[in-house]
Amino acid sequence: MIVEVGGRPVHVGPRAAWDAAKVEVAAQSRPLRLWLGLLTVLCLIGAVGAVLAIAPGWEVFGTTPTVEWGLLIIAYVFFAVTTSGLCLASSLGTVFGIEMFTPLEKRHAVLAVLSLVTAFGIIALDLHFPLRLMFGMVLSPSPTSPMWWMGVLYGIYLCFLLTEVWSMFTGRYQVHQVACVLASIMAILAPTTLGAVFGVLVARSYWFGAFTPPSMLVAALMSGTALLGIVFYCVVRFQLRGHQRAAALAIPAIRLLMTIVILVSVFLTVVQVIGGLYGSVPGVADATLSYLVGPLALPFWILRVILGLLVPLALLLLPRTRTPAGVFAASCLAFMGLFVDRVVFVLAGQIAPTTASSGVVSDPWATYVPSFVEVSITVGGIAFIALAYTLAERFLDMGEHGGHVGFFRLKAPTYHAAGDEH
Amino acid sequence: MTVSRRRLLGSGLAAFAGLLGARSIALGAPATARAAAPGGAGTGVAPADAAPAGYVPSDHRWGMVVDTVSCIGCGRCVEACKLENHVPMDPEYNRTWVELHVIAQDGSVIVAAPDGGIDGYSAEAVAALGLSESIRQAYFVPRLCMQCDNSPCTSICPVGATFRTEDGVVLVDDERCIGCGFCVVACPYGARYIVPAGGEMPNGYPGVADKCTFCYHRTTRGLLPACAEVCPVEARIFGDLKDESSPVSAVLRDRRTQVMKPEAGTKPRVYYLGLEAEVG
Repeated sequence: MIVEVGGRPVHVGPRAAWDAAKVEVAAQSRPLRLWLGLLTVLCLIGAVGAVLAIAPGWEVFGTTPTVEWGLLIIAYVFFAVTTSGLCLASSLGTVFGIEMFTPLEKRHAVLAVLSLVTAFGIIALDLHFPLRLMFGMVLSPSPTSPMWWMGVLYGIYLCFLLTEVWSMFTGRYQVHQVACVLASIMAILAPTTLGAVFGVLVARSYWFGAFTPPSMLVAALMSGTALLGIVFYCVVRFQLRGHQRAAALAIPAIRLLMTIVILVSVFLTVVQVIGGLYGSVPGVADATLSYLVGPLALPFWILRVILGLLVPLALLLLPRTRTPAGVFAASCLAFMGLFVDRVVFVLAGQIAPTTASSGVVSDPWATYVPSFVEVSITVGGIAFIALAYTLAERFLDMGEHGGHVGFFRLKAPTYHAAGDEH
Repeated sequence: MTVSRRRLLGSGLAAFAGLLGARSIALGAPATARAAAPGGAGTGVAPADAAPAGYVPSDHRWGMVVDTVSCIGCGRCVEACKLENHVPMDPEYNRTWVELHVIAQDGSVIVAAPDGGIDGYSAEAVAALGLSESIRQAYFVPRLCMQCDNSPCTSICPVGATFRTEDGVVLVDDERCIGCGFCVVACPYGARYIVPAGGEMPNGYPGVADKCTFCYHRTTRGLLPACAEVCPVEARIFGDLKDESSPVSAVLRDRRTQVMKPEAGTKPRVYYLGLEAEVG
């Protein structure tokens, strides 16, 4: 088939697409070819997992009535908070107009869309009847359910994000301005509601309470900032469009933001541990012990605390490592640490059961081993974001329009000494 | 286009008020209560076995008293439930099960339920648990859905698939359930599971939440739940709480009963006699 694009005939079809792909691959550098090849393989493994999860007739997840929420829920929570964190980080520039945080906002938005789409894809594979959810949320809404609100708010959030991306790439700056503000509001509400999904469960003392929703918000900011740190370093390292701006503004901004978020996370972690151990409240104390000295101790101490919080903090603060590469290393570790933190959070609330579940008494801890399907879907999700984002860098115009002034137009105050001429 | 900061804050407050309002509605009115359509879906059993025509749910209020002093831990209730309701025979999935609670001399509580207690607790089975000799007290605790008046599972279901009938039974509409597992983690009593594929399935297909229905297809026809029917020592006393002459009403009136996890505020309608201690 031949269609006319811009007055030129363009071949469209499987053969033409294959030829174009061959030309594209031939034009790529060897490292890029390897990178894309690796991601494609991982995506295909994820696709195999997805097909196995969809196909009816057998159990493919490692979850049990005792640990009903496994790796896919963890991955969903991780990507859902990451998308919010990306928007929150960029809102400092796009909504509040703080110059330091304005650069490279197209990249924020594209990553946020990809992360949210991946989160939705993963939760759809985890649910046994995802189509019922879509219809049920509209036809039999349940406003007493935080999960219903979460679905509604993340759905609205996706609409605002898509509007933001569309207006950004089509130069509709006024629409873009409004979309940024609305998306940023949703970026606060949605992860807070996600936190409430856990926070309202009186059956799970470790999750229950007002602490969980705001800590989910901090987790969002952490993962979003860390992902931006990784991407901005790549922009500088590979001299992609806007790399001067990334080096001059974006990376210092990420360094500042991530330092603050890590410090807040350390504070919250300490507070949670102290609160969990005091009084030996059943469920809370058990869960706290499960990650302090129990089966989750190794990932908690090594991956979350040392590699996920303390080492990144040192990298960000020490003069010798206050470099783009240092920010990159800190971002990678913090991103990994946050994923482990979500693993610990979701599992600690379940492996210390407060009762027998469906007739199974777990003593002292319930066990959960993720299946191949769960692991492959999670890895495939990460690979999908990386692959789609790499292609976006290759084919989309990631240059900034430069017309952003911020919704609140905040500017640093200027002070004048007495006697200065104004 | 400009939006004033005041207007923006106003919209945010309105949204917050909406969230609070939704919870207030839930507290003020039992929005989840509805009648199970006679012969229709929503009972956790095949539609043909649901409440019969002419059954008036609002005339009844079902409840159960579990007598842990009488229970001998034979496991017949577990087996009867599985057979009656097509519950998976896999020991990990149970609508009801029997736990052995052992209180040691030092006050510590040990709980065991090998295979959900379906095979009973013979001397060999108890010996295999490796319990210490310093036992102060030991008894059996049959477990099931507590049919809570303030049930967390009904308020958190995102699509209203789990609901409370007018006669006070919490059921799952298997044609609406999305299989998210939220109710499974929300239940303080661990009384729910997601139906696995492969074996027996109460509704004929996997992936939906399942739980005790007080054998709704039986009780609405004047029969006892399967577990109460087969109990050789009448440790499960089932009946209509609205009928003051029913055995269950008499026990609640005359004996000192208690509920599990009262601190959860769920207001269970399964009561216990002789419960000394429980796990967390």
